[in-house]
Amino acid sequence: MQLSQEASRRLSRAIGGGLLVVLILWTLAPLFWMVSTSLKHQSEIFGPKAGLLPVQPTLENYVVLLRETNFPTYFRNSLIVATATTLLSLVIASLGAYALTRLKFPGRKLFAQGLVYTYLMPSSLLFIPLLVIIRSIGLENTLEGLVFSYLGFSVPFCTWLLMGYFMSIPIELEESAMIDGCSRLGVLFRIVLPLTLPALAAVAFFSFTLSWNEFIYASVLVADVDVRTIPTGIPNFIVEDVFFWGPMMASTLISAIPPLVVYFLFQRFLITGLTLGAVKG
Amino acid sequence: MTEAAASDDFHIPPRPPSRWEYISNDVRTLAVLFLLPTIVVLVSVVLYPFIYALVLSFQDKRPGIPARFIGLNNYIELFSSADFLQILYNTVYYTGFGVLIKFIIGLASALVLNQPRRFNNIYRTILFIPWAVPTVIASLVWLWVYDEFNGLLNILLIRLGLLDHGVAWLAEPKYAMWAVIAVVVWNGTPFYTMHFLAGLQAIPKELYEAAEIDGAGQIRKFWHITVPSMSTVFTITVMLSTVFTSTSIVVVNIMTNGAPANLTQIIPNESFNVAIQASRMGLGSAVNMVLFPFLVVFIVILTRRLLRKDGG
Repeated sequence: MQLSQEASRRLSRAIGGGLLVVLILWTLAPLFWMVSTSLKHQSEIFGPKAGLLPVQPTLENYVVLLRETNFPTYFRNSLIVATATTLLSLVIASLGAYALTRLKFPGRKLFAQGLVYTYLMPSSLLFIPLLVIIRSIGLENTLEGLVFSYLGFSVPFCTWLLMGYFMSIPIELEESAMIDGCSRLGVLFRIVLPLTLPALAAVAFFSFTLSWNEFIYASVLVADVDVRTIPTGIPNFIVEDVFFWGPMMASTLISAIPPLVVYFLFQRFLITGLTLGAVKG
Repeated sequence: MTEAAASDDFHIPPRPPSRWEYISNDVRTLAVLFLLPTIVVLVSVVLYPFIYALVLSFQDKRPGIPARFIGLNNYIELFSSADFLQILYNTVYYTGFGVLIKFIIGLASALVLNQPRRFNNIYRTILFIPWAVPTVIASLVWLWVYDEFNGLLNILLIRLGLLDHGVAWLAEPKYAMWAVIAVVVWNGTPFYTMHFLAGLQAIPKELYEAAEIDGAGQIRKFWHITVPSMSTVFTITVMLSTVFTSTSIVVVNIMTNGAPANLTQIIPNESFNVAIQASRMGLGSAVNMVLFPFLVVFIVILTRRLLRKDGG
């Protein structure tokens, strides 16, 4: 059967619409279940009365979570580690990205290449020796040890993204500032960084979420409950309590909020940043 | 500069450059200074550990005993174990189907989102949400969705009359691996959708218009314009995702830790169990290194592609 172009376009849009409904349901179903469970009373979560929606919504899971578990500690640790990693990465990556995009020196290409290699180097290959190294410098079971290790993936990633943004700034601006007597560091801090401020924010939040979500280093380098972060802390609720699903879903909801808020606020930037490497050109 | 100064009648005597000015005029020194922190970090937490991991894989290293070289014995031990061959097969299966399904759903999502439709921004925002959900969180939420007695999946299937009692999805040998892959797909599809959507939007509209004048329908336009224009995006996305999928332990570690009977065990998580739980660091490193030759090929090709695209 040969369809006219108009009919074929309409058909593909109708199929698209149907598909969209299915995709949205698939995407939202687990999230709906998380929110719904976190608001249910214990008796509605387990047993034959278990329904899709909470009959009498309650915040008791959140109260249990905040009062009776270590969740506040995990949250605080995650916040400290992610913030420290982000700030350090930004400083290190700005300097590095500036050198790699603006200063001509032999081996520059090779260095940029090495940077991408390290960015793609999976942390699952590195965690065993890293444990030995971190242990030998006495940073096992410390938040400092985590931050130091996280720089390994955060710095190359931030540098890589910043290089793309720096290259989009016209070099003439910097040249004229230098003629006016501005030093290189002055150029970086007074011209390049202010101009890339929105991009810098996006890079910062990338780095923040990477560290916020990190699991493998955190589970290897840290064992004490006091220094655990969210990803290694909350899975242990399963071991500690049989009827943990209510507070557990409350904890997953709270832990998903920071990256989600960032995502909603900076959607456009994040997506351009992420797809920069693959689609540009 | 001197002329300007002269015409203003202000004669500033030439001041010898300060040490900082001297350094900042020497581009090479400055580059080394700027890159020094990066070099320190990358050498100490990436390069050195990587070489160390390679060395460890030829050693027997357990707590309390000094490490000793045992040549290829770790690798021999692995490849003569039926369990390890099963794990190797699982890893290929898990990565292969994970990537394939993410590709299909991601492409479908991108095509749908690229159609003109009201409120498209809202739909796009919704479909990208799983990307912003930490993988640990996604795994825990799905663990509860799969719950045998009170999980969403069983409740729905029973209400729809498709099941008469709950199934323990993660404990059934038939379903366990697919239940794990579903989570990987849920969490990882937006990465594909984003890349593909950006790729679709970069295709010049004129190509489609020209094809329409020639009388091409939707399907022909897809195969003759969309697919060829997207080939670079396809390659890069699939390769990046293969590297990330095959080396991430989170979903397996949290949902099954390899159960039932090693049927969902994958290489990175096995390495974690051998090296950390069983404290056999040499053997654990060897487990990971088995994957490395394949990763190297991907990483080298990817680096070339990424750098060419960015002109860096």
